Amino acid sequence: MRSLDFCLLADHKMKNELVLLLIIFIPVISALVLPFISRISAFLRNGFSFAVITLSFVLSFLLLPLALKNHTISIFKGFPLGFNFFLSADSLAVYMAIVASFISALIVLYSFDYIKHYENQNEYYSMVVLFLGAMMGLVFSANLILLYVFWEITAVTSWRLIGFFRKKEHILRADKAFLMTVFGSLLMLLGFIRIYQETGSFDLFTIKEAVKLHPISNLTIALILAGIFSKSATLPFHTWLPDAGVAPSPVTALLHAAVLVKIGVYVFARIFVATIPLAVFWQTVIPSIAGVSALISAGAALMETDLKRIIAYSTISQIGFIFLGFSVGNPVGTAGALLFILMHGLAKAGLFLCAGIVEQNAKTKDIRQLGGLIQTMPVTALSFLFCAFSVMSIPPFGGFFSKYMVISGALENGHLIISAVFLFGALLTILYLFRVFNMVFLGEIKNSAREGSFLMLLCVALFAALSLAGGIFIKYPNEIVQTITQQLFSLR
Amino acid sequence: MIETFLLLLIVLPLISGVLSLILPRGWRGVCAVAASLANFLFAVYLFKKESIFVLPWAGFGIDFSLRLNHFSGFIILAASFFGLLISLYSLNFLKGKDSQRQFYTYLLISISFVNGAVLANNLVVLLFFWEALLLTQYGMIAIGGRQAFKTATKALIISGAADLCMMAGVILTGYLAKTLIISDISLSLNPLGSLAFILLAAGAISKAGSIPFHTWIPDAAEAAPLPFMAFFPAAIEKLLGIYFLARITLDIFKLNTNSMLSSLLMIIGALTILIAVMMALIQKDYKKLLSYHAISQVGYMILGIGTCLPAGIIGGIFHMINHALYKCGLFLTGGSVEKQTGTTDLAKLGGLSSSMPVTFICFLITAASISGVWPFNGFFSKELIYDAALERGKVFYLAAILGSFFTAASFLKLGHTAFLGKAGQKYKEAPVLMLIPMVILALTCVIFGVFNRLPINNFIQPILGAGAHGHDFSGMPDNFMLVIVTIIVLLAAFLHHFIAVRINGGAIKAAEHIHRAPVLSIIYLWAEKKYFDPYEMGIKLIDKIAKIFWRIDRGIDWVYGSLVTNLTFALSRTIHKIQAGYYIIYVIWSLAGAFLVILFVLR
Repeated sequence: MRSLDFCLLADHKMKNELVLLLIIFIPVISALVLPFISRISAFLRNGFSFAVITLSFVLSFLLLPLALKNHTISIFKGFPLGFNFFLSADSLAVYMAIVASFISALIVLYSFDYIKHYENQNEYYSMVVLFLGAMMGLVFSANLILLYVFWEITAVTSWRLIGFFRKKEHILRADKAFLMTVFGSLLMLLGFIRIYQETGSFDLFTIKEAVKLHPISNLTIALILAGIFSKSATLPFHTWLPDAGVAPSPVTALLHAAVLVKIGVYVFARIFVATIPLAVFWQTVIPSIAGVSALISAGAALMETDLKRIIAYSTISQIGFIFLGFSVGNPVGTAGALLFILMHGLAKAGLFLCAGIVEQNAKTKDIRQLGGLIQTMPVTALSFLFCAFSVMSIPPFGGFFSKYMVISGALENGHLIISAVFLFGALLTILYLFRVFNMVFLGEIKNSAREGSFLMLLCVALFAALSLAGGIFIKYPNEIVQTITQQLFSLR
Repeated sequence: MIETFLLLLIVLPLISGVLSLILPRGWRGVCAVAASLANFLFAVYLFKKESIFVLPWAGFGIDFSLRLNHFSGFIILAASFFGLLISLYSLNFLKGKDSQRQFYTYLLISISFVNGAVLANNLVVLLFFWEALLLTQYGMIAIGGRQAFKTATKALIISGAADLCMMAGVILTGYLAKTLIISDISLSLNPLGSLAFILLAAGAISKAGSIPFHTWIPDAAEAAPLPFMAFFPAAIEKLLGIYFLARITLDIFKLNTNSMLSSLLMIIGALTILIAVMMALIQKDYKKLLSYHAISQVGYMILGIGTCLPAGIIGGIFHMINHALYKCGLFLTGGSVEKQTGTTDLAKLGGLSSSMPVTFICFLITAASISGVWPFNGFFSKELIYDAALERGKVFYLAAILGSFFTAASFLKLGHTAFLGKAGQKYKEAPVLMLIPMVILALTCVIFGVFNRLPINNFIQPILGAGAHGHDFSGMPDNFMLVIVTIIVLLAAFLHHFIAVRINGGAIKAAEHIHRAPVLSIIYLWAEKKYFDPYEMGIKLIDKIAKIFWRIDRGIDWVYGSLVTNLTFALSRTIHKIQAGYYIIYVIWSLAGAFLVILFVLR
């Protein structure tokens, strides 16, 4: 590859390439090995799954210092028809891998106690590990076809996981999620093919050079956006996400906070921030779609009575902010969106895991039948409140900075009305999250439920604490995010 | 050295706040008093010093920068003074209320946030601490009782909405000024600049508790623990809100008398005075009556600063500190009454002056201060505001003076009902630890009145700097006509009270003729039904909007869930019918296909 500089780090090159391969293939291969391990002992299976995901996290973290120094680690193996095996770890990819694997690791830890009451645990752990492996593969893909392959693996794993309880209704919902996201991704594949026709390559680096001469046609962009919006549950392809709330709570947390929904957002950043800069036209259209999506879903969250569906609508609403940040095309907005991925991931995972504790112990998800739970489950209630504050973007929680920067980016582009729309969305966020909190945890006791197990509480409390620490120690995530943003914008 | 103390102002209360949550029961209050005392001593040490402290923080111009100057030093000093008094007072007041033991934690963390917000020299840092106060405010109200969380949520949503406006204002200001460092910003009031000003001012006046952001305060008076009322709405929220309003009008935007925004502020101020005082007049609960006055008095401050005249600005800031003193004192007398008698319902109170003489004297002094009686502090700040308001327009002066009449009337009613009249039961005077803060506040009211040169020259006039044009605003007002009008109005209020008591039969009914007046009675009825509450109206509106959004969402889901699936089934049924096994149909298909192939080949 001409544009890549391989000789700079000749000594460490092999080592780093190995690390990159391990990050992806340890979980993918472990997922296939897990069914055999589970024959030995359930404890070993749980520990192994957790260890694998933690290992991915640690290995990703090892790549961070290098990536922040703007050294991209790449692995290239040519195949015919542009179907190249091309991995590349730049700072954006490493950041995303760290966020996704860290949140996934905590979620897996939580699921030890959550999932032990149910059947099909072996499949559960296999699928979760495969899910993360596919996510890692997708994050580091520098070839659109490779990216598409990993994208569809996540679709299959999420289909199995959403229908985990195997009731007829649940399976229908899982099918719905699968059909809607795959419909989108087929459109996206069409878009990829058109990119190949227009630029002659599926490799992102080649495309990047090519689009400097000939901009990509709008239809291609629209097709790819359809795929991204369907995966990230944005209007009008969002309705599968609330329905996916029938999945076990750790799975919903995984879908919303760590992997599935964030895939669309990440690919958006990968393609439309890092590779093909958006035209001014799209810089208005995408924020508008995101704004409508944020408002409609926030309104739906205010009306909904199912605890997990409300949090799901909240995800749809918050995803709008991330798209806004990425699409305005300036450093503040981009940095805000990157921070948003982290802060929203931490807080939303916490919210879903708290909802899981409530659901499992109170035996219902209907917020009208819940009340006063703070009396019996104070740790869950407080963790829920902390995570909710972060989503509401109230300082000193981390969500404050991400929302501030995103709206700041929008205003910098002169989007006065869109900024106002999103501020209204932020107000609705406060309203619906307090509605949930008040109905479930405060007021008169309607349902005497026990507190969750120690391990589950540890996980939710960690997410709550990290949401708080993310705001106070904003300096550290911000330094990483700022470096990524600089690299993204200086390379243009 | 000074930088270390600046950081300590923020860190020490924060740490001790968390500490007081962990400490065993008896030590919590002690921890709070010790921490707030240390905080007060730091503030005294730092007063009249200048310093700047910068740490890199969130990037994009968001540095953790603090700046100590005269104005911020003064506000810190005042806030720490109230923090100390309230934590002293709470030692006894909260005894036996186990559910409210988190109060000290919230109190200390609030002190930390207030210090941070006042010292902030970066708009985002200011917003960070400012908005973080939502949390402690929520916590402090929510611990008031089982149902208090509803009021807490209401307060959080109203303040949260205003803070979102302020966030927009901060972003817009940063965008226009190309910097977020407060001391470097100087903007003109072009259309976008005016919008930024309005958004920032919305945040400022909502913190101060002006209309239309005020409706949670009377609710909180009923729900929240009393020290919260004395600390938050009475003292530090006024300090913060008016401090920021003064900063944006004086430093950031340099409002002048020709500006429309100046008139807008004055109108908001005048309306706040009148609407809130009219509501205060008809209240029959000690705390709720005070809470409406906490709103009404903000009107004077906003009116004063809105005049953009030196007298008005100095009057407004002086009124801010005076109000914090007497209103905090008044709430504390209310707390004594509540603690000793177990109620604040005026219908059940009476003749407390004989059994609680110290409380009564403190009440007398603070009530005289709020009514603007010479020589107490409220008199001097109000005269300055009257002076400036009269210069800007008679109608503003009229509103202000009318507000004073009703203020005096409602405090005559309150004092007469609670402390005079027939004593029902014999009560004990409040414990010494609760009396000390009250007495200190009442004494300060006297000192700030009689020796008003002291606060005005030391604290307030330096804020204006050269803007005061060398004029000394202390001492008796220049315009003696104003003083005469004030005296006449106060005498009229006195007269009105005694006639009203005679006619309506009873001190508690002293305002009944106003409550039952033809048009007013309907307005009062609507107000009691919360028709004028922007929160209730807003929530209803948002509910309607949410229903529409919900329909749209369900509509989209219907497209996928029903329309697409049904269409698919219909299509597959049709194809199924076509392929029903009839020989003739297959022949037709084959022939048609062959025909197309031939057409294609021939072309």
